Amino acid sequence: MSMLELRQVSKRYGQGANEVDAIADIDLAVERGSLVAIMGPSGSGKSTLLTIAGSLEEPTTGDVMIDGARLSGMSRNDKARLRRRSVGYVFQDFNLLAGLTAVENVSLPLELDGISMKKARAKGMAALEGLGLADRAESFPDQLSGGERQRVAIARAVVGERSLLLADEPSGALDSVNGEAVMRMILAACHGGVAAVVVTHDAKLASWADRVVFLRDGNAVDETLPPPSPEELLNPEVPNPS
Amino acid sequence: MSIRHSLLALLSEGPKYGFQLRQEFEMSTGEVWPLNVGQVYTTLQRLERDGLARSDDVEVDERQKNYRITDEGSEELSHWLRTPPDLSEPPRDELVIKVLVASRLPDVDVYEVIQVHRRYIVQLMQQWTHLKEDESRFDLAFALAVDAELFRLDSVVRWLDAADGRLRRAAYEPAPENPVALPSIHRRTGAHR
Amino acid sequence: MDDFQLRSERRPSDGGLPARRAVTHWAWRLFRREWRQQFLILALITVAVAATILGSSVAVNNPPPKDAGFGTAPYSVSFASYSSKAQRFIAKAEHLGTVQVIENATYSIPGSINTYQLRSQNAPGPFGAPILSLVSGHYPSGADEVAVTSGVASAFHLSVGKSWQVGGVTRDVVGIVQNPQSLLDAFALVVPGQVPNPSQVTVLFRVPSSALRALGKGVQISTPASVAASNPLNPETISLAALVLGMLLIALVSIGGFTVLAQRRMRSIGMLESIGATDRHVRLVVSANGTVVGIVGAILGFVVGFAGWLAYRPSFEQSAHHLVGAFALPWLVVLLAMVLAVLAAYFASSRPARAVTKIPIVHALSGRPAPPRQIHRSALPGIVLLVAAFVLLGYSGGTGGGNGSGGAPELLLGLVFLMPGLILLAPFFLSLTERVSRRAPIAARLALRDLARYRARSGSALSAISIGVLISVIVVLAAASRFSNVLDYAGPNLASNQLALHTGFPPQGVILVHRNAKGQLVRVRHHKTETATPAQLAAGAEQIAKGLDAQLLALESPNAYLSGTQGGRSWSGQIYVATPQLLREFGIKASEINPKADVLTSRPGLSGVSGLVMDYGSGNPKRGANQNGNGGSVRDPLIQEVSALPSGTSAPNTIITEYAMKKFHISSDASDWLVFGTQSFTADQISSAQLTASTAQLQVESRNDIPSGSTIINWATLFGIIIALGVLAMSVGLVRSETSSELRTLAATGASSYTRRTLTAVTAGALGFLGALLGVVGGYVAMIGWLRSNSLNGGISALGNVPFGDLSLILFGMPAIAAVVGWLFASREPAVLGRQPIE
Repeated sequence: MSMLELRQVSKRYGQGANEVDAIADIDLAVERGSLVAIMGPSGSGKSTLLTIAGSLEEPTTGDVMIDGARLSGMSRNDKARLRRRSVGYVFQDFNLLAGLTAVENVSLPLELDGISMKKARAKGMAALEGLGLADRAESFPDQLSGGERQRVAIARAVVGERSLLLADEPSGALDSVNGEAVMRMILAACHGGVAAVVVTHDAKLASWADRVVFLRDGNAVDETLPPPSPEELLNPEVPNPS
Repeated sequence: MSIRHSLLALLSEGPKYGFQLRQEFEMSTGEVWPLNVGQVYTTLQRLERDGLARSDDVEVDERQKNYRITDEGSEELSHWLRTPPDLSEPPRDELVIKVLVASRLPDVDVYEVIQVHRRYIVQLMQQWTHLKEDESRFDLAFALAVDAELFRLDSVVRWLDAADGRLRRAAYEPAPENPVALPSIHRRTGAHR
Repeated sequence: MDDFQLRSERRPSDGGLPARRAVTHWAWRLFRREWRQQFLILALITVAVAATILGSSVAVNNPPPKDAGFGTAPYSVSFASYSSKAQRFIAKAEHLGTVQVIENATYSIPGSINTYQLRSQNAPGPFGAPILSLVSGHYPSGADEVAVTSGVASAFHLSVGKSWQVGGVTRDVVGIVQNPQSLLDAFALVVPGQVPNPSQVTVLFRVPSSALRALGKGVQISTPASVAASNPLNPETISLAALVLGMLLIALVSIGGFTVLAQRRMRSIGMLESIGATDRHVRLVVSANGTVVGIVGAILGFVVGFAGWLAYRPSFEQSAHHLVGAFALPWLVVLLAMVLAVLAAYFASSRPARAVTKIPIVHALSGRPAPPRQIHRSALPGIVLLVAAFVLLGYSGGTGGGNGSGGAPELLLGLVFLMPGLILLAPFFLSLTERVSRRAPIAARLALRDLARYRARSGSALSAISIGVLISVIVVLAAASRFSNVLDYAGPNLASNQLALHTGFPPQGVILVHRNAKGQLVRVRHHKTETATPAQLAAGAEQIAKGLDAQLLALESPNAYLSGTQGGRSWSGQIYVATPQLLREFGIKASEINPKADVLTSRPGLSGVSGLVMDYGSGNPKRGANQNGNGGSVRDPLIQEVSALPSGTSAPNTIITEYAMKKFHISSDASDWLVFGTQSFTADQISSAQLTASTAQLQVESRNDIPSGSTIINWATLFGIIIALGVLAMSVGLVRSETSSELRTLAATGASSYTRRTLTAVTAGALGFLGALLGVVGGYVAMIGWLRSNSLNGGISALGNVPFGDLSLILFGMPAIAAVVGWLFASREPAVLGRQPIE
């Protein structure tokens, strides 16, 4: 069973003459352990796709299933619970609550889910340690660098049992080395069994994914083929489409 | 890629044997550009001929020869490192030509052509990225070389994106004397993200 | 791993306690980080709670305790003498329960009209502890011992260890005592049985309530409750009402503050939701913050208020004439004040909290400003409430010319309706700004349009301003209508350097104890002293003036008086004769006086009153017929206003000219004197004057604390302006801080500081003016409604006297001040133009 499944999802904004299809008839399935990138220019609907996949927005038509649970018909509270337990978000630049330390930020979803502070904190510390941020656990967001903030955000997105990671230009505000570190962590999370969707316009980021879906005007127009083996690559006779 | 100057650079570290030079050259470029044996030795012969390097013994096989750099060689290397490559002439890029041709042919969907190339390049980048992840922890030179390749490919993707956008824009405003068409594109493409 | 535990579904779907704890924890951190932004709300709550605690403590403790005279006993019965009836009652009560008998005999202090009690009481006895305590020494334990209060001690120059002959017996003074519930209670305490012929026998007792009926036959049993019941409007109620009003105001102001706070945190809240916080959690963040502000404010307020009370208590005890415990606070009011403060802050924050959950998560996350919420623009509900308030207030005085008594529920309900009426009208008034803005220059247009567009937040500010103004306008109008009546002249009686002396009465009915020829103590009624002659009175007055080193002016009372009725009120105040001495004393030259004038007055507007009648001669009930017996009356005597005359109600503010005296053959006699010094009289001087006066059959009247109409109006105006400016300072700051990103854009587009200043100034000025307008409208609605049926307070015609100066100060001055202050303080360039700080 796919961790995330979108079936014929469309989202329409505005009314009458101002009506705009942000996304139209999108089908997408993301398995556990796989990293899917959604690529497209600005305004292609990729962020909308992500917010719908993460239950932050309702699709106009179509179904979204997270871990087998159908989102349509869920109450706001049920969706909130789903987000607490299964879905982790990483946004471009604004990810952490200013009043909380790194470890408090990471353990927040667990605490929101009713896990005692002590236990949640231990889990949060474990997540931070796993991502090499243990020494920054007690820092407040304004004491962290941009790269560290994104990495804390990823720790929060995968803390506990959360198994769907949705990232919107996660390295958008970072330089390429820091951006690479962020993607490396997302990939590591995938290897740990998380299903991840990364939305970006940057081919370098998208190239980290197992599969890249190309979005154009709200439609999924194309996607990459499964990767060939590295041996094929080192062969000078690489097939060239030209 | 100048094999000539790369070999000079290796020789500037100290005298080396022919086979040694070949090995080190391959390592230093991260095995991204595989060489055939002949190329290295031919180049070495030319270096010797031009007086940029010299070998002590004449009789033995090229592989066994011990090469060292001359003063002229050091000068040439230093000059080369500081000379920017000639980028003023645009290279005859096949991809550019293909997209240009596709945009003129009425029966061809130029966007589809662009997408085919885009997908191909992204796939290529995926492969490089995965390779880099597997290897780069142990080999810095390799990572640098792959980065270069990724940035190059990325620039091609970006060019494709730009071309896509420019063609699209041109399609909506066919005649420059009709500037009113602009707002309508805006609406159809949708500003929402 | 306990992963399986994590998955467990047994946890509540909203995260239960840990979730709430985490969210509250964050709110607390936010409060600590951003308390400066909430400083005004915090300060408001602190001041309100502190003022309530101090004010209610003073108000509740000012009157003598409810159980004064009862001690700890639940019942008390008083007898005029130690009669057989009293003895039977005491015997019966002793059989049924606990009894304490206190006997009193009144003795006079020689050379003084003051008296003291010779009191016998078991010290302190079963019930007497609250009404008897020892200051020094010990209680009398034998017939030859006595303890006295400090008043008695100083009157007789006594101290512990001296002996004193009292009640015909020489006793040793063994202690100084006091009645903590009445420091004015002067008495000499002896052991029971030592008071011959007590004039009052008080029996304090406690018996089972079942036995009360049998015991109560033929006697009047009183309880502390029965005494207190005679005062229905106790200070606690008043301070609670003021508290509720104050908290309403604070809640209104705070709504704006919390709205802005919620907006500032919109992205954080969106993120919290994306992590999986439910609406409840989000509401909790905002309202927990509000509650924290309320709690901190309540605690600070309590500390400040209690400290103030402790500091004020010693001087308060002196003026209230009874001891007050340090902890004798009206704890219920204190508790309610603190609870209400927390509730006000909670409710103020819960509305923005709800609003924030209505914003789509995606919008919240992007920090995009939410589309302005459409607030019902119709003025109808507000108008309906105002009309209802009008009608209710109109009937509060009883229908048609009521006397102002009764109708309290209508009055209260009317005021209760008035407030929400104004709150509902605020958005409508704001929508007017948009129309005004269309032709304004860009900065003003932007400011006004923001006010109109973001009515949710500017509306609460406007309501708060208007309620502040409303209160002051009501007071201003009430004062203006009350004091507009020149016939019913109200205000301070005298200047502080003036004393009025009136003819008094000889002391009567003082019981003195004498020793008769046989050496027995007998009680005799003091003989009524002879009424002093005018010469004696004048001599007494002169003695007082001399003692004060002040000048004396004899005031002649004419055998004439003025009468007239206007607006339900009739003439009040004494008139005097314009003797040459009087005119000279006040610097009035003969040339200033219209030779035909009958009456001179300092009362403004009196010359314009028609229907005034001056009766003289036989018509005067006080003086009797004049010598000739031919009295008469003059309609509309010629009145001239002379501002040099004193304005005090007991001073000669209205005088009859000698011309009129001669014309109508009015006689006069000197019955009053005005003493005036160069400086204000001190309390000591006044009391020494009173001492002299008591022996000379004169009464001394000194300045009382009744404020004049203009004082009340000016203070009310000041109050309204200060409240409005305070609310403005806060809400304008909030409204503009929310659009700080707009300012950033403006600055980036090249807007000068002039634009920024204009923006703030226009916002402040417009809010101030609209609030003032709304408040004045509300105030007039209330006053018209109330006065319509309340002729005693002047009726509607009393509103004809419009306090233009004060109203225009509120309507135009206050917004102008606000605009200028806004202009001055808006100069700061936004610190960060490019990046928004990390939130």
